[in-house]
Amino acid sequence: MEKVLEIKGLTKRYGRLLAVNKLSLEVPRGSVFGILGPNGSGKTTTLGILLDVIQPTAGDFLWFGAKADNKVRKEIGAILETPIFYPYLTAYENLNIVAEIKGADKSNIEKVLETVELLHRKDDKFKTYSLGMKQRLSIASALLNDPKVMILDEPTNGLDPKGIAEIRDIITKIARDGKTIILASHLLDEVQKVCSHFAVLQNGKLLYQGLVEDVSKGEMVVEVAANGHDLAATLEGFEGSKKVVKDFDKWVVSLEEGFGSTELNQYLHGKSITASHLLTQKKSLEKQFLEILEESNENKVG
Amino acid sequence: MNNILRLLKIDFLKFKNYRAFWVISILYSLLIISIPVAVMEFLKWLKEKGAEFEGFDPLKIPVLYFPDIWQNITYVFIFFKLFLAIIVIISISNEFSFKTVRQNIIDGMSRTEFALSKLTFIAALSLYSAVLVGLTGMATGLIYTPSLEGVNVFQGFSFMGAYFVDIFATLLIAFLLTLLIKRSGLSIAMFILIWPIEYIAAAYIPDSMDFMSEYFPLHAINNLIEFPYPKYIFREIQDWVSMESLFVVVLYIAGYIAFILRRLKTSDL
Repeated sequence: MEKVLEIKGLTKRYGRLLAVNKLSLEVPRGSVFGILGPNGSGKTTTLGILLDVIQPTAGDFLWFGAKADNKVRKEIGAILETPIFYPYLTAYENLNIVAEIKGADKSNIEKVLETVELLHRKDDKFKTYSLGMKQRLSIASALLNDPKVMILDEPTNGLDPKGIAEIRDIITKIARDGKTIILASHLLDEVQKVCSHFAVLQNGKLLYQGLVEDVSKGEMVVEVAANGHDLAATLEGFEGSKKVVKDFDKWVVSLEEGFGSTELNQYLHGKSITASHLLTQKKSLEKQFLEILEESNENKVG
Repeated sequence: MNNILRLLKIDFLKFKNYRAFWVISILYSLLIISIPVAVMEFLKWLKEKGAEFEGFDPLKIPVLYFPDIWQNITYVFIFFKLFLAIIVIISISNEFSFKTVRQNIIDGMSRTEFALSKLTFIAALSLYSAVLVGLTGMATGLIYTPSLEGVNVFQGFSFMGAYFVDIFATLLIAFLLTLLIKRSGLSIAMFILIWPIEYIAAAYIPDSMDFMSEYFPLHAINNLIEFPYPKYIFREIQDWVSMESLFVVVLYIAGYIAFILRRLKTSDL
């Protein structure tokens, strides 16, 4: 698979603090790549290095298989942390500067403003914008030169639920156009909803890298509620059950691979029990993420 | 060259709708244009009041006559470079306080291009100032010189060259200071303070090393245009631009540019 970005042993040290620690990653073309990690895990520092605003202490990275120069960045649409514009200029004037820097067609300005639904505010000064509008403007700015890759750093930070939904729609729309998107976030649910690949960072180190669809594979968890006494023992008696835990008024059964809710339901029927509630839970990225972090902490202790 | 013009255009787009820039620029321009008029009006007033310099008509002092005018006005106008320095300081510190320097790089400017866009802007500002002063000097000279017969209006025009170099070098110092300090208020204060600091330092160096002080950065700049007025009380002055002084300042300019480029290339933004 063609690689858009290749990171090799990237390291950034601020005095005694190791912000990025020998990070190696590959981002395939067309993927929506989520970089997950708690605040301060080195996500923004890493992206800053990839965009040449932070100097790495060691390591290398290749964009489209070549050493990066500023021409590459003209084909990348990126926002880091907060939206950054000249506050005393209007949206149009700000994008005009970006278009001049990127060598983008000026006719694109209105197009991208339309995409993020800001066209009616194009002649208002940036400082009069709400946070959600600022975020949307920075996405418009990133889209200006029809980029091959987009880098979005916490794009929904500080937004209300409506704003979050809007940004998410925009991201899904962009991804559908076949653009590669690198999305840094600490919101797991966000990554699970829009990403195809993900990596987990902690203290500047890569802990895990994989496909989002793999997260929900493997073992399955089923919630069961039913009348009948000693349900727990019955459930434990099922050959596919691995673990049975009580969760308020329900039982949560973790199943062995190859077993699903159908098999469990048949088994209960055989025992003359009719389930009043039977729900297959997909394993969430959140759970996986916490497991990964926990494992790494255990390793450190051990 | 095209690229340089593009970079200048980018910087101009940042300023085009920035009110403070226009207020300071217009104020500065009005000040430059009005000073010769004010000087002449003052001399006229002196005459009307009957102030006599031992029977000498104050209007006959050739302060604003060719060829004296070039050294006389450049020496005075150079003091107003503080206005230009404030424009430069605001221009640079804005980029850091808004973090737009970061976004410019992310959007695809190289760090060198960013530096060049600012350096070109500074050169353009210096050129504007020199042209403004040149035109004002020319107009003033043509109006007030009693007889233009046998007068070469461009005699002493080398002071205009020195003026441009002086402004450019000074604005580079403002750029450099702001690059280090980043905050506009503090940078302006520092820019004003370095002058007394250097002159105090020069006063304290031992006599045997005294010649060194002439090579201090601000002394070097000040040596470009020497104080012209003692000649009106018949003292000898240096009424030409010394090539040695020019050379020293050009060396400093090269140093400042090298430092600015290096700093912008290697720091985290």
